[in-house]
Amino acid sequence: MSRKPYQPPMPASWWLKHPAYRFYMLREATVLPLLFFVASLLYGLYALGQGEASWLQYLSWLQQPWVIALNSLALVASLFHAWTFFVLFPQVMPLRLGSRTLPAWLMVSAQWAGVLLVFVALWWLLGGLDAHQ
Amino acid sequence: MPTLAIRLQRYQPEQDNAPHWQDFRVEYDDSTSVLDALEQIKAGQDSSLSYRWSCRMAICGSCGVMVNGVPKLGCKTFLRDYPKGLQLAPLGNFPVEKDLIVDMSRFLDHLTAIKPYLIAEAAPPSQPHRQTPAQLARYKQFSNCINCGLCYAACPQFGLKPDFLGPAAIALAHRYNLDSRDSGKAERMAQLNSDNGVWGCTFVGYCSTVCPKGVDPAAAVNQGKIASTLDGVIQWFKPAKEQSK
Repeated sequence: MSRKPYQPPMPASWWLKHPAYRFYMLREATVLPLLFFVASLLYGLYALGQGEASWLQYLSWLQQPWVIALNSLALVASLFHAWTFFVLFPQVMPLRLGSRTLPAWLMVSAQWAGVLLVFVALWWLLGGLDAHQ
Repeated sequence: MPTLAIRLQRYQPEQDNAPHWQDFRVEYDDSTSVLDALEQIKAGQDSSLSYRWSCRMAICGSCGVMVNGVPKLGCKTFLRDYPKGLQLAPLGNFPVEKDLIVDMSRFLDHLTAIKPYLIAEAAPPSQPHRQTPAQLARYKQFSNCINCGLCYAACPQFGLKPDFLGPAAIALAHRYNLDSRDSGKAERMAQLNSDNGVWGCTFVGYCSTVCPKGVDPAAAVNQGKIASTLDGVIQWFKPAKEQSK
């Protein structure tokens, strides 16, 4: 008797089937608001090269509510992505001290400490709240 | 004894062109597993039902099925945890042969391709090949795989691209690459470096969630990406003659 295997279809909506897939797609989708952030950063660099008038125009463009909203979304998205990355890191690069593997929580905490350090350094570098005065 | 509703995906290639659902009711208590329920159906309600099983204790890896859409071992899943009833379907991402039986030959081909055995450089030594506990600890977790295929049913990349070597095969390749007694890493890296190797993985990570033995194949695959990158860098600095080997 001949075989007749049934090949189950893989519809484009496969990722809606399970929370784990939806979470994965959300993680990957964080690139979209970041794309906007990168575009506005490039626009800023371009405006800087075009002279003062262009730069001031860029600054006022930045202050529009929808631009602030999208850039805030990009910040939240990048922090969310960082969180997922940090949690996965101990799986990808388990660090060994002698015969012991460093506990995952320690590696995750160390990465957040790094983020905090960068935030504080940037804050200090930009002169804190006085930056735009 | 209380009863529970079970909806089974049936596919009988002699008469069906596509699978359909069939409803059953089974008696159960706290110790009734999904596999027990299938045996009850086959023995008392429908002898034409086909499914795979062997050991009944999560060692053989034969009885993988989708329980409410989640890949599980039938022998390690209990009806008491599904008071609203359950739906059983064959493992996802594999061609269905009949009822709950899938054709796993793709997975088995991928397993063979990565040479999942010790490759010794020289002739077998006359002395036992000793290993320290620390050397064992490096790969032990990845050697617990029972080849049940749940991780393949969980992996959308394998579903989208069946040529992807997949979680278990890559985890096993990683297991042998980490083994201090093995010197076959160079033979496995060509497979792992390819598009269908470690780089076919996008770290969905669900394979590790469903693994019934705690192997964490996602970790193995993504540690494999580091190994593959290092291997690539080393290849750059090797003389051309060595590279062609």
